[in-house]
Amino acid sequence: MRAARALAALLGTVLLAACGLQSGGAVPLRVGPAGIGPVPELGGVAITVGSKDFTEQNILGYLIEFALVAAGADVRDLTNIQGSNSLRDAQLHGQIDLAYDYTGTGWINYLGNETPIADEHEQFEALRAADLAAHHMVWTAMAPMNNTYALAVSRRVSEETGVRTLSDYARLVDTDPAAATTCVGTEFNVRQDGYPGMARKYGIDTGKVRKQIVQDAVVYQATADATQCRFGSVAATDGRIPGLDLVLLRDDRAFFPKYNAALVMSADFAEAHPAVAEIMTPISRLLTNETITELNRQVDVEGREPADVARDWMVAQGMVTKG
Amino acid sequence: MTAAVETTARPRGTRPATEGRAEYLRLLVQPVLVLLLTVGVLTWALRRDLTVTQQASLNTSNIVTVTWQHILITATVVVIVVVIAVPLGTLLTRPGYRRLTPIFVGVANVGAAAPAIGLIVLCYLATRTTGFWIGVAPIAFYSLLPVLRNTILGYQQVDPVLIDAGRGQGMSAPTILRRIEFPLAVPYILAGLRTSLVLAVGTATLSFLVSAGGLGILIDTGYKLRDNVTLVVGAVLAVALALLVDWLGALAEQFLGPKGLR
Repeated sequence: MRAARALAALLGTVLLAACGLQSGGAVPLRVGPAGIGPVPELGGVAITVGSKDFTEQNILGYLIEFALVAAGADVRDLTNIQGSNSLRDAQLHGQIDLAYDYTGTGWINYLGNETPIADEHEQFEALRAADLAAHHMVWTAMAPMNNTYALAVSRRVSEETGVRTLSDYARLVDTDPAAATTCVGTEFNVRQDGYPGMARKYGIDTGKVRKQIVQDAVVYQATADATQCRFGSVAATDGRIPGLDLVLLRDDRAFFPKYNAALVMSADFAEAHPAVAEIMTPISRLLTNETITELNRQVDVEGREPADVARDWMVAQGMVTKG
Repeated sequence: MTAAVETTARPRGTRPATEGRAEYLRLLVQPVLVLLLTVGVLTWALRRDLTVTQQASLNTSNIVTVTWQHILITATVVVIVVVIAVPLGTLLTRPGYRRLTPIFVGVANVGAAAPAIGLIVLCYLATRTTGFWIGVAPIAFYSLLPVLRNTILGYQQVDPVLIDAGRGQGMSAPTILRRIEFPLAVPYILAGLRTSLVLAVGTATLSFLVSAGGLGILIDTGYKLRDNVTLVVGAVLAVALALLVDWLGALAEQFLGPKGLR
């Protein structure tokens, strides 16, 4: 009997603790209001911000967090979640209120379409309509930055071979396959908006390609070394591209899908807090490929903290102060 | 791992009869299970309506290629492990070299304790090359310990009375090693090898990181694309392969051990 009561007490404590538990941690750096000032509607509102587990996503996550802190919200930090799918699940289940995601990822990975839409605005509109209808998720404040797939080459190899565009690359594969060895990540290797689709669009004979499948992170270094892979699949805004002096091949037939960053939240959240999109839209507008690549470079090449990089940029833009 | 080595390392002759029967039953059931798993998962996957993206991974020629790469990696790892660990273990139990044992066992311990993925990445960073051997070498280092440890253990458990008896018959040290010590150590070495084999199959799923291929490609592709069919095919085939090599190891233990102890 006593054991049962002890068990009940223990269970009660555990339940109580579970209710008190909140996911996420505190925002890592302090900021004060500047260009972004306190918004009464957001004062003290608890908002959880998430991101995926790579540099650019961490930076984008911190940009949202600092902006909302300056606006007076009570922000919880859930950045650095492993992989797109986990972030998406966390958003669908309401563990995360807000995150930057990519239009191509939404259209292809989350909604399961195989063919992207070539124009970035049309892609955004199609995705917004479909995701709202299917999952009550709102996409808004699309940024000009487009973190799509690209083939990269070291500057030396580019000058040596004269390959500047994907059409040049296709020609090189055809005439001298040994000079066009290519490293690709597992995902890019099978995606229809990755290598197979690219090969079809540019008329590349996949039987001729000397292709190696490696880990994404290895692709950058191996392409820069240019011994075993002279070309490599990369993400277009990665900071290691300027850091390792790689050149992106121009997608002259506009094959690769658009992966513009945009803000994602549930429809309920968007309705309850319209001020969030209003605050974030001008920030999104400033995020071009040049800007985000430079911020990524400061983290990946100079070894700075993503939170520091994000805050310094916002301070330089006059949005917030170092609180 | 130690527990597994200890339980499997007991020489056959000391086992009670029921355990022997269970072992025989397992020898029969395990290959059937491997067959069921393989056929089951392939039928399940290939009879579905696959998207074009899934077909790029899950076509017969690709599945055969990555499975073959996986087998090749595992087999090479095992050959390297046997070639290094058995002579090394033999040397380290000879008089005069015993003092060195802690050093080598320590190094092998480091290899087994370090995360395999870390070893693979370090190996890539140190050599700046990709390919088969960069995928194989770290896994071989990783799987060295069970065989080395069991080889040493195998020699240590030989009853000194038997060695004395050999000497009494005028055998030289090499003859004692060849005719008494080594045959008696074989069951232990094989038990260690079996553990190594299963470790190698599991960690070979990571060797795709450096372009060595293997079933890890299917697992990683499936995970990244949220394509559970590809992921499950890769994972289940790796499980089937692990069971298969474990079965081969069991067969080897059954038939390669010393005749007198069978």
